[in-house]
Amino acid sequence: MAGERIEQRSRLRAEQPPATTTLVIRGGRDTPDKLRSHAERTARAWSLDGVPLLGISVFAVLDLPLDDLLRRRFATFRTIYLPTAGQLDEHGFELLPTGQEPHFTLRLHRADDRELAQLLSALGAPKPNPQYARSMIWRREED
Amino acid sequence: MYRVDITADLNDEDETGYVWTFLDEARDPAQIIPGALVVAGDPEAAAVCQVIDLAPAGDGTIVHLRLLPGLVDDYRALIERSLAS
Repeated sequence: MAGERIEQRSRLRAEQPPATTTLVIRGGRDTPDKLRSHAERTARAWSLDGVPLLGISVFAVLDLPLDDLLRRRFATFRTIYLPTAGQLDEHGFELLPTGQEPHFTLRLHRADDRELAQLLSALGAPKPNPQYARSMIWRREED
Repeated sequence: MYRVDITADLNDEDETGYVWTFLDEARDPAQIIPGALVVAGDPEAAAVCQVIDLAPAGDGTIVHLRLLPGLVDDYRALIERSLAS
């Protein structure tokens, strides 16, 4: 069972990009190899404008307070990254509004060593997740 | 460290709102059927998930996973309690 890559252009949410001060969450502790693997998985499944889409998943802190989002979606992660959208933008990384709000795909262009090092720098230091082991998984229809 | 049934980035979601990964990233793809409970993620970050469905995408098959509440360790404790004599 195989099919075409899922084209994301028509599926992108119509919304303003996150403000530069918006916090962005990524769960777990990343390495260049992990990030490359995740980006390549995305490119294997998704395309953008007909081209395989290299990217990794992040969530923006939009309507829900940070701790609520962490508790509902990230409780299985001991550590998180918590850059701002502005920090990602300063490093040249675009956030595509994919999936359901507040999910975004942080777009990569090559996923080579240099770009992955830039990405790790943009994500900043991993932080302990204050909501680790604190509860439930969030699904939007349950809100 | 966890030994996962299927490797996934637990951050990944698509328009369904479910975590997704590829079926060929499972240790035993035959176990990945709708309704099955599996441990997904990687050795450092894993979660108990329920398989929702499978769908073709790209050169393979995508598996949608519902993240279940709690930690893998919570489920182990649950099982140990239930099996204690």
